[in-house]
Amino acid sequence: MAYTLKNGKVDYVVFGLSVFLIFCLLFESYIELPVLVAWIGRWHPLVLHFPIVLLLIAIFLGLTGRKIPRNLLTIAVISALLTAISGFFLGKETGSKGDLLFWHQWLGSGLALLAALWYGLEGLQLGGKIYTKMIQVVIIGLIVLTGHYGGMVTHGQDFLALPKDKKQEIIPKNPLIYTHIVDRILENKCVKCHNSNKKKGELLMTDLAGLLKGGEGGSTLVPGNPEESEMIRRLYLPIEDEEHMPPEGERPLADNEIQILEQWIALGASDTLRLNHLESSQPLAVLIKEMMEPDPMEKWTSLPKVADSTLGNLASDYLTITRLAGATDALKVNVYMPPQYDTQILMDLIPINRNIVELDLSGLPIGEKELAFAANCPNLEWLEIDRTPITDVQVDTLRNLSKLRLLKVYETRIGDQSISLFKEWKNLKSLYLWGTQVSESALEELKSENPDVLIENGIDEEIKSYFVASDSIPKS
Amino acid sequence: MSQHHHEPKEEPSLKVNRRHFFSQLSVGIGSLALGSLLIPDLFKGETKDLATRPLGIPHFAPKAKRIIYLFQAGAPSQLETFDYKPTLRKRMGQDLPESIRKGQRLTGMTANQDKFPLMPPKVGFQQHGESGTWISDFFPHTAKIADDITVVRSMHTEAINHDPAITFFQTGSQISGRPSMGSWMSYGLGSENKNLPSFVVLTSRGKGNSQGLYSKLWSSGFLDSKHQGVLLRSGKDPVLYLNDPEGLSRSDKRHLLDHVSSLNKLHHVETGDDEIESRIAQYEMAYRMQMSVPDVMDISKEPESIIKLYGEDCQVPGTYAANALQARRLAENGVRFIQLYHQGWDQHGNLHDEMAGQAMDVDKASAALVLDLKQRGMLEDTLVIWGGEFGRGNYCQGKFDPNNYGRDHHPRAFSIWMAGGGIKPGLNYGQTDEFGYNVIENPVHINDFHATLMHAMGLDHEQLIYKYQGRRFRLTDVAGHVVKDLLA
Repeated sequence: MAYTLKNGKVDYVVFGLSVFLIFCLLFESYIELPVLVAWIGRWHPLVLHFPIVLLLIAIFLGLTGRKIPRNLLTIAVISALLTAISGFFLGKETGSKGDLLFWHQWLGSGLALLAALWYGLEGLQLGGKIYTKMIQVVIIGLIVLTGHYGGMVTHGQDFLALPKDKKQEIIPKNPLIYTHIVDRILENKCVKCHNSNKKKGELLMTDLAGLLKGGEGGSTLVPGNPEESEMIRRLYLPIEDEEHMPPEGERPLADNEIQILEQWIALGASDTLRLNHLESSQPLAVLIKEMMEPDPMEKWTSLPKVADSTLGNLASDYLTITRLAGATDALKVNVYMPPQYDTQILMDLIPINRNIVELDLSGLPIGEKELAFAANCPNLEWLEIDRTPITDVQVDTLRNLSKLRLLKVYETRIGDQSISLFKEWKNLKSLYLWGTQVSESALEELKSENPDVLIENGIDEEIKSYFVASDSIPKS
Repeated sequence: MSQHHHEPKEEPSLKVNRRHFFSQLSVGIGSLALGSLLIPDLFKGETKDLATRPLGIPHFAPKAKRIIYLFQAGAPSQLETFDYKPTLRKRMGQDLPESIRKGQRLTGMTANQDKFPLMPPKVGFQQHGESGTWISDFFPHTAKIADDITVVRSMHTEAINHDPAITFFQTGSQISGRPSMGSWMSYGLGSENKNLPSFVVLTSRGKGNSQGLYSKLWSSGFLDSKHQGVLLRSGKDPVLYLNDPEGLSRSDKRHLLDHVSSLNKLHHVETGDDEIESRIAQYEMAYRMQMSVPDVMDISKEPESIIKLYGEDCQVPGTYAANALQARRLAENGVRFIQLYHQGWDQHGNLHDEMAGQAMDVDKASAALVLDLKQRGMLEDTLVIWGGEFGRGNYCQGKFDPNNYGRDHHPRAFSIWMAGGGIKPGLNYGQTDEFGYNVIENPVHINDFHATLMHAMGLDHEQLIYKYQGRRFRLTDVAGHVVKDLLA
């Protein structure tokens, strides 16, 4: 079979584009795009529609034994290569490539290169061979997959998923254990397959009656007896087990969810049981309270980003800045008494004031300026200003710190005036104020108005006198 | 504050060993040929390490920021402290049934005994607080904080002799050489105060029968030596060799350090030994500690009420009470892990009298520490632990003598208490059988205990890993479950 150069220049274009694409992929990390080239990437979402349609038409013609117009194939292949290259440019603009983009890039590039190979084979008059047909079939597959990943990149991963109405509403303060907790777990993890439309194993999990009735596997739920309940047995099976629920590939229940179901069944699987019917030390009550408590990391996600290098620059031998946890921008700042104290040490932290969630200034000779700084940290939850010379006037500047959860002001000169302020903070949980000038009556008033606040006014006098009276030096 | 990352630092070429060479070689050839097409990341500059977790920061929001561990070295008997067993009184003098002992191995001290006469505690027991916690009359002050502490009666270990047992508790392995718990915390969480070590050790000794304490218990093992526990001694020289010799001024010292440091840096460039870097850092910290340590150790500013609370003996350096007060001061100053040891709890004989003395040493100060931390709001983020390395047998060591009895080592069940920092207060956790011999409910192994402590400190015990000599190590090694029931 003689090789005939039918279409010289175009062949070189296809070959050149292919080589360029391979080069891009291999040396991705070394490539820095000029702005104008990067801009070409923006055309990717427009261009990509051409190769999809043109390649599909060409393959349709090829597989049905008709003649593929040479120009159609040429345009299809060149547009495929251009799409892949522009896509590559576009991809360079996003900092880190997630899994979706990763697959989209490699499937798309593979598709373009395979199309180029097909073009070459056609040029060599090998279009009728079985392997060329195979390549065409593979191209169809790649078009579908690449398109799918690309779609997920732009429209989100769940775009094609069937609509679900997950129960995400906030759990009320005193929830009905079945309606607000158990049903919510089942709804999220089980009902997909055990509903009135798709009653797998003849089991309906949308209401208590369905659970009590059970399915093919026998008694799904035996009130008061989790060991006998098929549901619990299956939840505890190893994940590889055929009978494990939910089946492989579905999201399994978390440990605490399984425990909640188990405890609820053990207590009789009632649908009228409420959280306040349980003793607070009851395992079920503890589990549910845990579930209701928002994850602290969640509320910190909206804090501004702060770089490690910034923290490194701001910290000194006497000022420690740490992240409260690995993946957050919530910061804890501890200041220790330096040989020469200078107010400036805090003022340098103004750029990160929104990130400071915990601040410890205890034992320092602080005054107006430091408290004004603290007042300027709107996300403060934890503030230690104990054993300092502060007074009511300065504490009053903290008025807007409504997120404050803990305040240590013991051994300071504050008095009753500050109490009115403490009453306003709705998130306040613990207050340490012994050794101050706060009067007994003001304290009583605060206690009656905020009964949930733990107020520490020093060690109980009775215990104190017991400790003082009994000496620990053994009489020998 | 510098951020360290877990991936091994780039090692200089001299440090390539045979294993490195082969692993590099195979990866090299294979990946060049195929990898570039299959693994597009290969040509990217960054490499992702296995479990990459930033060091020096908790993995998740912690409940506790520091730990004070009141270690009762020698192993106080659970039967005379927190595990009340009336059955022992009913069966006093009877032989320990084999159905209970189940072939438990014994130490050389009792292995040859042909009878194991059950022995009840001579000391009385009462329930205290709203939690109804059983506490023996040896501990009247601890009884006052019954609702602040959680007693775990279902601790168990494998070791049966002091040294392996205490090494297991401190390092997660019975064989010495691994890093101490405090070193792991320092490694994982970093220091809160750069002027003090993050892991500090204080020791004291009672009049009871004592076992040795060795510095290996607070060694940093294969971790960087800056994580090692620093022993603070009583007396005028809390840290040995910290003070300058006479005639050396602080500025001379500064010059000296700067020069030594520049020489050390040169050497570091040459050899790439990370220990040099940590040595430089330690010199610097020692320089600052010359100021900070005397300040922290000086209790003269403590008010009379605090002295009375801990007991007059807290003014006597080297006593348990003094160390307890010191522990609070160190915690206030941002020390992560404060390890106390009180020796003298090894009652093989004369148990009642010796324990009375030991309890007298520690009871008031331990309870005072909890009360003091509580009033300062430090119980919210400081975890206090009280306990020994194992339990003691429920039978007499040697001949049955109710007036002067002793108890041999017992690994299968013992009691500890914890307070504060993310642990539920007023809980009675776990149960032993009516003989106080076997755990029958909610057993807590040492590995579980470690996992739970780490969890309270915001560390995932399965993620804090250090690779050494080709193997990955954790404090809990390949075991351990977080005891969720204990967590607040």
